[in-house]
Amino acid sequence: MPTPHDKQRQPEGAPPATAPRSHGRTARTAILALAGGGVLFVIGMAAFETGLLGDGGDDTNRRETAAKQSDAAFQPPALGAIPDDENGAAIRRGMAIFLNTKTNAGDFVGNDLACVNCHLDAGRKPGSAPMWAAWVVYPKYRSKNGKINTMEDRLKGCFTYSMNGQGSPSGGPPPVGSDVYRDLEIYFRWLATGAPTGEKMKGAGYPKLKKTDIGYDPARGAKVFEQNCASCHGADGQGQRDINGRIVFPPLWGSGSYNWGAGMARVNTAAAFIKENMPLGQENRLTDQQAWDVAAFIDSHERPRDPRQTGSVEATAKAHHGGESYYGKTLNGRLLGTGTSGS
Amino acid sequence: MNRIAPLSILALGILAFATLLLVIVPGIQINTEPPTPGLKPYTAQQLRGRQVYIANGCVYCHSQQPRSADQAPDDIRGWGRAAVASDYVFDRPHLLGTMRTGPDLLNIGARLPSREWQLTHLYQPRAISDWSIMPAYPFLFEVKDKAAPGDVVVSVPKEYAPRHGVVVAKPAALDLVAYLQSLDRTMPVPAKAIRDDGYDNDGVGK
Amino acid sequence: MTRQARDNRAPEETFEPYEEHRGIPLPVLWIAIALALWGVVMLFQSHSAADSGITRRASQLSTQTGQTADAGAALFVANCSTCHQPEGTGISAAIPPLAGSPFTAARPEVVTQILLHGINGPIRVGDRDFNGHMPSFASVLSNEEIARIGNYVRKRFGGQPPELTPQLVARERERFADRGPWAGGAEIAGTVDASLAPQPPTVPARIVPTDAATRHLVNDGRGDAWACASCHGAQGQGNEDVPRLAGLPAAYIAKQLGDFSSGRRDNDSMRVVARALSKREMAALGRYYERLSVPSTARPSLGGDLARGEKLALEGDWENKVPACFSCHGPSGFGVAPTFPSLSAQHPSYTARQLADWAGGVRSNSPVQMMEKISGRLSAEDRRAIADYLATLPPVPARKPTPEEASNANTAR
Repeated sequence: MPTPHDKQRQPEGAPPATAPRSHGRTARTAILALAGGGVLFVIGMAAFETGLLGDGGDDTNRRETAAKQSDAAFQPPALGAIPDDENGAAIRRGMAIFLNTKTNAGDFVGNDLACVNCHLDAGRKPGSAPMWAAWVVYPKYRSKNGKINTMEDRLKGCFTYSMNGQGSPSGGPPPVGSDVYRDLEIYFRWLATGAPTGEKMKGAGYPKLKKTDIGYDPARGAKVFEQNCASCHGADGQGQRDINGRIVFPPLWGSGSYNWGAGMARVNTAAAFIKENMPLGQENRLTDQQAWDVAAFIDSHERPRDPRQTGSVEATAKAHHGGESYYGKTLNGRLLGTGTSGS
Repeated sequence: MNRIAPLSILALGILAFATLLLVIVPGIQINTEPPTPGLKPYTAQQLRGRQVYIANGCVYCHSQQPRSADQAPDDIRGWGRAAVASDYVFDRPHLLGTMRTGPDLLNIGARLPSREWQLTHLYQPRAISDWSIMPAYPFLFEVKDKAAPGDVVVSVPKEYAPRHGVVVAKPAALDLVAYLQSLDRTMPVPAKAIRDDGYDNDGVGK
Repeated sequence: MTRQARDNRAPEETFEPYEEHRGIPLPVLWIAIALALWGVVMLFQSHSAADSGITRRASQLSTQTGQTADAGAALFVANCSTCHQPEGTGISAAIPPLAGSPFTAARPEVVTQILLHGINGPIRVGDRDFNGHMPSFASVLSNEEIARIGNYVRKRFGGQPPELTPQLVARERERFADRGPWAGGAEIAGTVDASLAPQPPTVPARIVPTDAATRHLVNDGRGDAWACASCHGAQGQGNEDVPRLAGLPAAYIAKQLGDFSSGRRDNDSMRVVARALSKREMAALGRYYERLSVPSTARPSLGGDLARGEKLALEGDWENKVPACFSCHGPSGFGVAPTFPSLSAQHPSYTARQLADWAGGVRSNSPVQMMEKISGRLSAEDRRAIADYLATLPPVPARKPTPEEASNANTAR
């Protein structure tokens, strides 16, 4: 086996005269070296650009977001994409009504709420009854009034119950054909740009919450409320205002809240909304049981009377309140549904 | 060792080239840079404090060069914006430091402007942070039975206070704190100032 | 190598080791040349990075100072629309409308003075009375920006020609340089433009004096606690990651001091101070700072994307389950007492640091883990963007003490 020392021994002692190498050989080496170096550089660059080298993290990220997006709900257009024409002006008005209902449709609002209180992110958030999902399924039959409802009919219901129209300056919802409906409707239509018509879309409504084995109980709900809701909605549930008296957190019961006829006054609706949307940014913080209990706690407080009530509470309860509602029931010795003063 | 001449010429040439690019050109570039607008020269007391800073070896553990957000989260640590060349116009020699055993101090005067805090902390860092590994500098202070008029009394929590008397800052401590208070490079930087742009080579605002 | 081979090599006294000339292997040359090319490319790339860095900063600077094409409209959206609404409708019973308001059609000095000093008190717009707080923009907008906003508002809502100039704004700044907010419409009508009368009468603010002990604590400290002002500034304005305290809700300050003392919130220096304070003193300090109204000293300093910050503050990023900051901290970041601190005019280093601390689990004292969860979903860039954006906002107008508080303080003395 030859070793380096064997090699060194061959010339026997004296260093060899460095044979002058031919220019041709040097040139050839230089050309080979340059060409090879260039090729290596190009290969390296190509490898870097295609992401084989380095930046690998970005690539997996990209793939993950792509996967997430294919699973995600419908994307309404960005706020900045509202067109600058007559349509756009109406869309902006509709959005203004949606966000500050009392300011921009004040004649028809009898409480301190706004559409956006229950339809979060300006009616865009999946799981909080987004307006893009509602727009594509109307007109449709509703058992609440037993007829085909247009979007205007549906909005009239919102103003009558959730916005407590009976307590407003005009004493009711906007009249048929009001511009309030027009502006809101074009806002919804714009949100639903590109949405499939007539389909029940992913993220529509509030996802139904299964009943729990032990049922719901306002007394347990009171504790949940104190721990999870009171820091925003106040220990008394009356919401909070900023230094200018602007409502930041909406009142959940009492004269400033939705009336007994609203969907949210039903425990199952409120529980579904709460589970999916509350506290803000912490969807599903509450267990199903906690959501049911706290919804029961909220909806077992007195609120403005049901505008459908003509006779007694009992009669109205029989006619309209079959489901999960405390209306017409007696809790702690008090009949619920008699309404708040000033409504 | 034959051909010593070409070898030495080459070696000297490389050295000269490096000196030109790493010392002379940057020197010219930096010398023409005006101070960051709002930066004031040190006062005599602050300069004395600077000498105390150097003498006590603060520079061995504390850097004075917040990095850009692309290189280190210094801005979120509260150490201030990335330093630029013009921040050091009045620092000769600069005290950039290389070690970050302790926090960066280039903006200590902005984030902890309290003289009282600094004095307590120099007297006994553990009085504030029980985990601190900074040495105490009790020799910058003296314990007196009673503070004379004009003395600056240091507030020290009971467990670190001397049994009798009060802790009073010596002039060196006051000078050092004056220097620390002057370390404030939070003023905005002109867009054209010489600076390190970090690794942000796509030019996209982040 | 075997033992055999070593034995064969008998020591040769005459042997001088030497190296035979051998060419550098080609692969080494290839790598060297490739690296050299790479280096040249890198040099050019980083050179262009420096250039693009400079242009980027320049463009940031110009958007920050509002020197964009339709600056008036952009400035209006950025500074006015969260309260007065994009269409100038205001908010019923809370924020006066601009559209059709006599104030926008009055002399140009009126809008200028309102922007410079803000209003703390009753004001009548049309047939409706409002009693609110408008912040002073003097510390966050330049004369030129105020002139642009003023001209835009007066043209759009009052139909007036552009009469505001930076010079006029500068003069108006000088005119009432040291005054606080206007005490309501009556004072403006009496001082600036009489045509705005009649205005509702101004109830003189009852000044609640701070007791001497609290003042001493703030300004001089005590043997066991450094003075608040020695770090937070003489007016509670803060600096860098020392937070601005002026205008924060009293209950929030008291709670934080309690948390520092109990260790729920971790800060060595504040722990030393808070442990030296009694519950009463904490509450008194909270009340003291809540009432301070101080110009903003915060400026964007983290290189954050202000547009992104504005979007997160106003709309949130629901895809990442990040609600808008202002959905809890109030529609203009003025806070909602007692739990939600005001965010406007807070120093960006402090805000970004707190967001990072929440995300990293260092700070964990927010109700319902709200901030811990939300901060964790923000990227470092988003945190910088929010912090920088909040620093561009005007400071919260100080809340006036309620009549009960005023009488309490008076009887306490």
